[in-house]
Amino acid sequence: MQHSLNKKAAVIALIATVICVVVSFYGSRKLQNFDPALIAYLFGTLFALFGGIYRYCVWLQRPPTWMYFKRTWQLAFTGKIFAHIYSLIADAVKNLLFQSFIYPRSKKRWIAHFMLASGCLAAFAITIPLTLGWINFTLDPASALDPGTTKLYAANFFGFKVMNFKLGSVMAFLIFHALTWCSWFVIAGAVVFLVRRLTNAGLIATQTFEGDLLPLILLIIISVTGLGLNFSYAFMKGIAYDFMSVTHAIAVILFLVWIPFGKFFHIIQRPAQIGAHIYRREGEKKGMAVCPYTGDKFTTQMHVDDLKTVTKQLGFDFTLEDGTSHLDYSPEGKRSLLAKAHLKARQEGGNLFG
Amino acid sequence: METTAYKTEMEFFVDMQRCIGCKACEMACAECETNGHESMIHVNYVERAVTIQTTVQVCMHCDDPVCAKVCPADAIAKDDFGVVHSANNARCIGCSNCVMACPFGVPKKEEKYDMMMKCNMCYDRTSAGKKPMCATVCPSQALFYGTREEISRMRPNSTPVNKFIFGEQEVTTKVNIMMPKGSTHLKVH
Amino acid sequence: MAKQPTSTDKIINDFGPHLNYAPQEGYAGRDEPDATVKTHCCFCGMQCGIQLLVKNNKVVGFEPWMEFPFNQGRLCPKGVQRYLQDNHPDRLLEPLERIEGTGFKPIAWDNALNRVTTAIRDIQAKYGKDAFSVLSGVSLTNEKSYLMGKFARVAIKTANLDYNGRLCMVSAGAGNKKAFGLDRASNNYEDLEHAEVIIVTGANVSETFPTLTYWLWRARDNGAKLIVIDPRVIPLARTADIHLDIKPGTDSALYGAMLKYLVDHNLLDHDFINQHTTGFEDTIAAVKDYTLEWAESITGISKEKIRQAAELWGKAKTSFLLHARGIEHHSKGVENVLGCINLVLATGRIGRPYCGYGTITGQGNGQGGREHGHKCDQLPGNRDITNPEHRKYIAGVWNIPEPELPGKGLTAWELIEAIHRGEVKGLLSICFNPLISLPNNNYVREALEKLEFYVCIDFFLSETARYADIVLAGSLHEEEEGTVTTAEGRVVRIRRAVTPPGNARADTAIILDLAARLGEKERFTYANTEAIFNELRVASKGGTADYYGITYQKIEDNMGIFWPCPTLDHPGTPRLWEDYKFATPDGKAHFNPVEFREPSEVTDSEYPVVLTTGRVVSQYLSGTQTRRIGKLVDLIPEPLLEIHPELAARYNIRQRETVRVTTRRGTADFPANIVETIRKDTVFVPYHWPGRKSANQLTIGTLDPVSKIPEFKVCACKLEPLGVFTKPGETHAFDSI
Repeated sequence: MQHSLNKKAAVIALIATVICVVVSFYGSRKLQNFDPALIAYLFGTLFALFGGIYRYCVWLQRPPTWMYFKRTWQLAFTGKIFAHIYSLIADAVKNLLFQSFIYPRSKKRWIAHFMLASGCLAAFAITIPLTLGWINFTLDPASALDPGTTKLYAANFFGFKVMNFKLGSVMAFLIFHALTWCSWFVIAGAVVFLVRRLTNAGLIATQTFEGDLLPLILLIIISVTGLGLNFSYAFMKGIAYDFMSVTHAIAVILFLVWIPFGKFFHIIQRPAQIGAHIYRREGEKKGMAVCPYTGDKFTTQMHVDDLKTVTKQLGFDFTLEDGTSHLDYSPEGKRSLLAKAHLKARQEGGNLFG
Repeated sequence: METTAYKTEMEFFVDMQRCIGCKACEMACAECETNGHESMIHVNYVERAVTIQTTVQVCMHCDDPVCAKVCPADAIAKDDFGVVHSANNARCIGCSNCVMACPFGVPKKEEKYDMMMKCNMCYDRTSAGKKPMCATVCPSQALFYGTREEISRMRPNSTPVNKFIFGEQEVTTKVNIMMPKGSTHLKVH
Repeated sequence: MAKQPTSTDKIINDFGPHLNYAPQEGYAGRDEPDATVKTHCCFCGMQCGIQLLVKNNKVVGFEPWMEFPFNQGRLCPKGVQRYLQDNHPDRLLEPLERIEGTGFKPIAWDNALNRVTTAIRDIQAKYGKDAFSVLSGVSLTNEKSYLMGKFARVAIKTANLDYNGRLCMVSAGAGNKKAFGLDRASNNYEDLEHAEVIIVTGANVSETFPTLTYWLWRARDNGAKLIVIDPRVIPLARTADIHLDIKPGTDSALYGAMLKYLVDHNLLDHDFINQHTTGFEDTIAAVKDYTLEWAESITGISKEKIRQAAELWGKAKTSFLLHARGIEHHSKGVENVLGCINLVLATGRIGRPYCGYGTITGQGNGQGGREHGHKCDQLPGNRDITNPEHRKYIAGVWNIPEPELPGKGLTAWELIEAIHRGEVKGLLSICFNPLISLPNNNYVREALEKLEFYVCIDFFLSETARYADIVLAGSLHEEEEGTVTTAEGRVVRIRRAVTPPGNARADTAIILDLAARLGEKERFTYANTEAIFNELRVASKGGTADYYGITYQKIEDNMGIFWPCPTLDHPGTPRLWEDYKFATPDGKAHFNPVEFREPSEVTDSEYPVVLTTGRVVSQYLSGTQTRRIGKLVDLIPEPLLEIHPELAARYNIRQRETVRVTTRRGTADFPANIVETIRKDTVFVPYHWPGRKSANQLTIGTLDPVSKIPEFKVCACKLEPLGVFTKPGETHAFDSI
């Protein structure tokens, strides 16, 4: 954001993208298992990968972010490492998988967000490996030739067979329709949010179309056209199939290209919340800062000290004449100090009013 | 945010010596549509054991907002009107950097939501040409929202000031504080 | 019967107080309300304009009403939260009857009303007409206040009708009638704007009338000097030019000394005194020995500060004096008020722009409610029930023979005493919660328990309603049309925003139904609320509080009309006495001699500390409404004992330690709040809470001999730290006995 092109970030992102291409080339058995129909999606995915990593690296270079990033790993790998790993995983399940921090904001919003998020994440987990050719399905040749037996499918990961399942089995139904379930989840969640955004006066005032409404509309288009493809193929003899497939592709590619820059970046950013939790927890063990004005503990001393460093890196200097800092004071202390300074100035001015 | 009736001639003026600590603003703030019945304004006793003095603090909407700069998640943004908005709830990771770095002690960490929230000058109202809730109801008009002409007519012996000194740091803000006539800044430390 | 049918805890569980909060993102529909109703806040005499947002017959929020001239959108925390009294889980939705051992059960309206009328008839047949009494209240509209007076006298036919205004501003009313012959603030508050000196005495404006602060600060912006007289450094006093930290119960000594200073230094308006007043010589004779030294010894205020205040007041060209309950809730409340009026008259600063005087009426309709005859000695238009001409006129309006109009009854506190003595057997109450608001409430409870029949009209089951045999589910402020008169004397319109929920009924409908069942259908038939107002207009015509020229249309066109307004083409009277023709029989303003007397209970070695009581910003009166609104309760969850660090040290009391406060009447425990903002010889407790948290377990029932107001503001107590510490909100503020 401060630089026109961040070389460090670009290099890292490029390396990561090249690695991905190489892995995919061999993972798809030199493109044997690669589905050429997905070529547009492939480039979208690679772009999203490059952009996401680039943006992530730029983001990490911001002083406050880097401070948290650095501290998180420092703290995670000091002391009881296994306890840390355990709490990291527990926190990740709670806050990333189940987004439980949304629940107190509103039960309805949590349900909607959980549906939206789990639908999206599951769809990523399926489509990205498919697009990159990491996963493919093959028909067992023996069952294919024998008209009397149920056809047997194999799921392959990087070309290695992972499992078999029979056509018409529950497993087959679930696997082949996985994206359908994802779509329904996403639609349900996105519609709840869309309705909220169109009716809540507070949101109407502060939201932007491209930042808040378009992402939801895009997700709904992707899901509806995705479902439509399936529906058209299964029940409508392919009517409107082309239209839907083109719309779907455009929406998905827009979505992919947009991940690094728009609303969806928060998916990548969210794990930082876990870092903030560790920072707080471990900081408490090291000791709390006490406000010189109120005499109360208000945050960790590490937090205050780090903020002094970070604000200086950002060009602020709250150092006071006696060598202490304005940042040593709690929010309440700061407000009271300002009020007292104002009272003093008013009294010196000779009149509290006027 | 595209279509807005925000009145740029309207400004916010605070004079905490007029505050009577009634907390009407705190109640009214929670009625603002943008903060879901949480109150973002701060009214607190300065030192209750010795004085009844209270202070009232809205977001000062800094020209160069420290809160936004120290946010590790890019969750705080300043708009074209100079309004510094509350955390983008998709991004905010609840780290409290902004809470602790704000020189005015304004942002609030809502622990139950694991998220920061702050005053956005009642954007739902100001963007529709109305006054913010707190300044509308404030019975002492310690919080005043109006034009510079209005305030200079009503309070001819005071000067609006928007420069604050915290040790080495000078902070300028969108919101003004009413000071004795001729003042140029408020030195906190 | 009139005893609680079951445990207090069970009643609280069933009927509250429960705390009501708005849903997390507000009530649905407030973005697109069905209606935006311009009305007024129900809490306090300022009657700030407010717009209620209505969706599906529910109040779902509010929007400031920027155009209403007094408050221009400004509100206090109670006003902002007022909309939460609607949609409340404790709201009574149908009439209830007392079931011994169980509590209260719903009863059909017909049965409930029949039980009430049967009880009234039985008690009156057995013990006489006056054995059934009525207690009313001045949070009711003018129409309902008027109706209650007529109902008690014409339908129930009892003399024993009084109201909670008796605990409010009756001292001011009596004082104003003596001095001016009329009971209203002399000016509207716009006259504060250019007053040079303002005295605010016994009025914690920033907590009890927060929106009035605006006008005081406007005056100060224009250079006004503010003198605040209060035992505590209230928010207004912190920044005041002079704060006179008076010892409770010594107000008249201060005013006397100030008057003497004006006389000694010739800071008087001799022309005004000579031409427009009487009684000046007697009045100054009464204060001839009240030197500054003497005043310092009595009031505890340094003589230099008294001198400065007197000097400022004496030399001002324009001024405004405001007082409220702080000087009125005394056994010499009327004398305190007259002491203030003497200061105003001596300087002749009345009846001109920016020269004002007035009591700040406390209750929602404290002004209008005290004018239209639900007071034991009064008939509509602020007429006198003992005056034969007044009786004749009102008997004519009501179409009854004059002899059938009952005479003067007992005042509120005297009525409780009569119930306690067993002389009065039945009670109907509306808009009154005496168990919280009367002094010495252990005695009040004993009295209630002696009633043979008690019926209460209320929208929530108040602490007093728990003692009722029948509770009639009435209406909230926003559920009926009407008018109220603000503290300025401005008659404004209350608009119905919603209809009563469930089977609850409008108060007016209940009263009219009861009257019909008592055989008075003819005299109690009205097409609508406006018809009641029109009858009130006629009834008030020619009285001092003349509303005849005020119509609903006129109020709406002008956003309120100031009475007196005797004719339809009269514009109303925002400022009284501009012609110096006072409403007294001789047309002059009357000085009244005031000699200082001690309060009825002074400190001694057994009870060495002065106890004074008052209010907090987040509660209104007995809290029936405001103790049910979540955020208001959270703001100040419990009453605290304010005590100076030096006094605390003497008893070894520490911050937030529970302190037992004992008086000759009762005992109560409060956490200590040790602050330097109170006199060293005085402790303060706010009174809004019930049961064991009620400050009125401690206060004294001594009455002012003229106004019959009880002495809430001063008594003697002793303190005992209990060694117990609690966090805010942990002490059960709803604890009952």
